Amino acid sequence: MKYWNPYTETMPQEQLDAIEFAYFKEYLAYAKTHSGMYKEKLKEVNVGDIKTIEDVRKIPFTYKDELRAQQEKEPQNFPYGALLGVDVAEVSAFRQTSGTTGKPVYVPESYESWQWRVESWCHILWMAGFRPRHRVFLPVGYNVYVAFWECHYACEKVGCEVVPGGALDTKGRVNKIIEIKANAMGCTPTYGLNIAEEAMKMGIDPKKMGIERMICAGEPLPEATRKKLEETYAAHVYDHIGGTEICGWAAMCEEQKGLHIIEPFFLIEILDRETLSKEVAEGEIGVVVITPLGRHSFPMVRFNTNDMVVKGKGGCACGRTSRKIMEVVGRADDLRKIRGVLFSPKTVEQFIREEFPEVVEFEIVVERKGIMDELTLRTELQPNIGKDKAEEIRARVKETAKVKTNLTMNVTLEPEGALPRYDLKARRFKDLRGKE
Amino acid sequence: MEEIRKEIATIEQSAKRLKELAREMPGISKNADIILTFTFLLKFITPVAK
Repeated sequence: MKYWNPYTETMPQEQLDAIEFAYFKEYLAYAKTHSGMYKEKLKEVNVGDIKTIEDVRKIPFTYKDELRAQQEKEPQNFPYGALLGVDVAEVSAFRQTSGTTGKPVYVPESYESWQWRVESWCHILWMAGFRPRHRVFLPVGYNVYVAFWECHYACEKVGCEVVPGGALDTKGRVNKIIEIKANAMGCTPTYGLNIAEEAMKMGIDPKKMGIERMICAGEPLPEATRKKLEETYAAHVYDHIGGTEICGWAAMCEEQKGLHIIEPFFLIEILDRETLSKEVAEGEIGVVVITPLGRHSFPMVRFNTNDMVVKGKGGCACGRTSRKIMEVVGRADDLRKIRGVLFSPKTVEQFIREEFPEVVEFEIVVERKGIMDELTLRTELQPNIGKDKAEEIRARVKETAKVKTNLTMNVTLEPEGALPRYDLKARRFKDLRGKE
Repeated sequence: MEEIRKEIATIEQSAKRLKELAREMPGISKNADIILTFTFLLKFITPVAK
């Protein structure tokens, strides 16, 4: 079967819109009556007054910062506070955000809400071609973070055989993949590359490890990195986008051209960056605002993700009718002004992966020296590259960085193993300016 | 789809009745709850097109 749920995946867009709008009203009513935060925040909003999508736009956004404050309230619901949407006794799993942008947000999952998000993830896996014939290795200790728990449960649900790969080092994971003949994998893009690097050190060609399919999670996946993973493993590699607060909400199909929004699970708004008041046109960049329409233990109405995406055209050669996003540009808060120039770390990852296969790891550091911002790109090259060749690569990286970012960077060559390796979310950009 | 929806409604009714009958039996009652989780999901993914 090509589709996970052919009924909704091939439904005309206007019908999906109508269903999502009806679901939104029900969900809004639920949030207003079951969540301490929304009882207060939306007390002026009358569900009966919401008649069009323009009325939806008048409802205030929910921001990540306010979630942190809200979880301090209602001590009887510790540690979720006023964010909880069910009785605390109904919570069956604790998750939390990574804390990349501040104090972590604690996320309660009831059994029902968890299964709802797993169902959404089944779409992600099915679109990526995961089927019951796959033995899926997840080379990650899932810990309290949501992405690989979702992947694990969804693998089981779509009928794959799932192998948890925590509590092993990278070498142990390479051996395990080969030992059990795993033929699919779910991991962060960074860790997928690290496993391949480790395999090569062990004298194993990653192409011969038997991985035919990979789903990436936990980090942005620039197209150049996706292609590098495909070449490295001779596998099909797929992307998706999601977040702890709002689930995986869009994913790549076999056409690998943009990401399909998983409908009718979410009301997705892609809004003009300046005003945040109107939907952008196809091909334009907008900020994603999400309402997950069936998630009751942790109600989220119009969550402003800060993710910026390029809105795509509806329809696809795969036959799915859902709306698409063509590219994840990055998070609005990942953009930094450096010496007056807007800088996105993703630009660096893109050109490194595309043009410098010799660079196995990198890190970007910005510091303030006197009144000037100083930007350093630390690089680690493949072992056994001679000094002259390494110097030539360093010079080319510096030149390319200047062309691609309009910024002059110091480029350093680090010894083998000097830069950190990550199995969950990579943190390759360090802005140290605030600490001086 | 109409027939599918009817079948989901039947399962939901049965699970509710099962839960009622098993009030003092957590093992049965909890399994009935789990069936109800999936009837919720089934209803969610088979909405009536408007």
